[in-house]
Amino acid sequence: MSELRVSSIETRGVPGKKRYAMVIDLRRCIGCDACMVACKAEFDVPIGVFRTWVPYKVVGKYPNVRKMFLPRLCNHCDDPPCVRACPVGATYKVEDGGFVLQRYERCIGCKACMAACPYNARFMLPKHRTYTDITRVVDKCTFCHHRVTQGLVPACVQTCVGRSRIFGDLSDPASEVSYLVSTLPTQVLRPEEGTKPHVFYIGADRNRTEYGRDVYNAPEVLEADRAAFNRNHTI
Amino acid sequence: MGEFTIFHTVAWPSTYAYYFFVIGISAALFFISGLSWFREEFKSLRTSSFYISFALLVVGGLLLISDLSQPMRFIYTLNPFYWNFTSPLTWGSILLVLFGAASVAYFLAMQKNDAALARKLAVVGSLLALGLPIYTGFDLAVHQHRAVWNTPLIPVLFVALSLISGAAVASFLAKGEARLLASLRQFMLVASAATAVMLLSLLVTTANGGSASELTFMFMTSGLLGAVFIGLGVVLGTAAPLVVLLVPFGKQSSGILLASVLLLVGGMALRYSILMGPQIVHTYF
Repeated sequence: MSELRVSSIETRGVPGKKRYAMVIDLRRCIGCDACMVACKAEFDVPIGVFRTWVPYKVVGKYPNVRKMFLPRLCNHCDDPPCVRACPVGATYKVEDGGFVLQRYERCIGCKACMAACPYNARFMLPKHRTYTDITRVVDKCTFCHHRVTQGLVPACVQTCVGRSRIFGDLSDPASEVSYLVSTLPTQVLRPEEGTKPHVFYIGADRNRTEYGRDVYNAPEVLEADRAAFNRNHTI
Repeated sequence: MGEFTIFHTVAWPSTYAYYFFVIGISAALFFISGLSWFREEFKSLRTSSFYISFALLVVGGLLLISDLSQPMRFIYTLNPFYWNFTSPLTWGSILLVLFGAASVAYFLAMQKNDAALARKLAVVGSLLALGLPIYTGFDLAVHQHRAVWNTPLIPVLFVALSLISGAAVASFLAKGEARLLASLRQFMLVASAATAVMLLSLLVTTANGGSASELTFMFMTSGLLGAVFIGLGVVLGTAAPLVVLLVPFGKQSSGILLASVLLLVGGMALRYSILMGPQIVHTYF
């Protein structure tokens, strides 16, 4: 029986359509940030903004403490709110593959997609960049569409030293991501929003995945940094 | 360090709150101008409220364009090949153009003293004007992950706020005409009573919602934003003018003008806090 599809844009269970997904096995993530660096290098991502980022939180009580990492990126939702929100169709979903991409030449910079994204995965490119002339439009992770269409895996997956990030086609029952998603307990971020994310986590900690938990008892030093960031960043 | 994260900015800055404010006034003033063809007491406001409505429409358009990071590409929103009808921003760009065109046609009909045509255009323009606060409400309401925004109340609340702000501005243009002020007082009274009920409903449902609602409630009722929302928006900008309008002093010209000032302050504060509250919460995710 095919899966229930609520929106016509969804490709779950549609025969012949690839559905790329990433599984992030947090048991294997060591927080080396190589994925962030690889992404920055691949796309000349400017200072201060990120297509992928790895926040962490120290959890537990001494001596049983550990850093819980939660690599973040665009979830390439099956039903992406950003695509619905864009007034000029500058954001679109590639039907075969499920990539959610951006037409830079069409983006007007209204930030509706940024407001619509439940994952904070979108950001505004600054006015000045050193090597790339795409500026002052919204940008995001592309699941390395340019690499995947040439048979490569995304740069962050390629560089992940612990093989924490695994990439593949969920529609292919023989793929590693299909195997992991079907055999291991996985989580997605904010499932209640109905976005059907294509980024799955194994072993995620609720201190990082649950919406808003960071607001409670936010470390004072972090709040000072946040205040400084807010003072200096206008979009 | 026990924690590391990157920070996120709010997507829509206060420019949008100013836009909601001016476009709400513009829509309501056009409605009041149009009403003058059907209700005698509004006749003195026919041209003055129309001129201000049109000026604010231009200001609103410029505010929207100035907030774009690619301002010259605003023209793309008018390209039918780019239209995306799942986005309320598309409805808005079409509505703004149609409302602007209706306003110009209405102005020309008034200039030619063509009363029959002006009456028809007043009705058409008023319906388009009604669409402006409704679409701005949907701009917010369609975001499924934002507490407060994602409620059916927001478009209706924006219509009520539009009527309040427009009537408040019109009361300054009324130049003390007793009958006109009495009608405007009725508008403000009914719309601000409806706003009070909607705000109460919004507060109660938000306070008893899920984690996102709970946090949004916390941000909107404490600290600086709490002072803006509860202090300026709810107490000073909704409850106080309601009381002023209900007591005998509120039937006098000075009472109505005082209530108008309070309602304008409240209208701006409510729009600002409703825009910013849910966005601040989200920067923590």
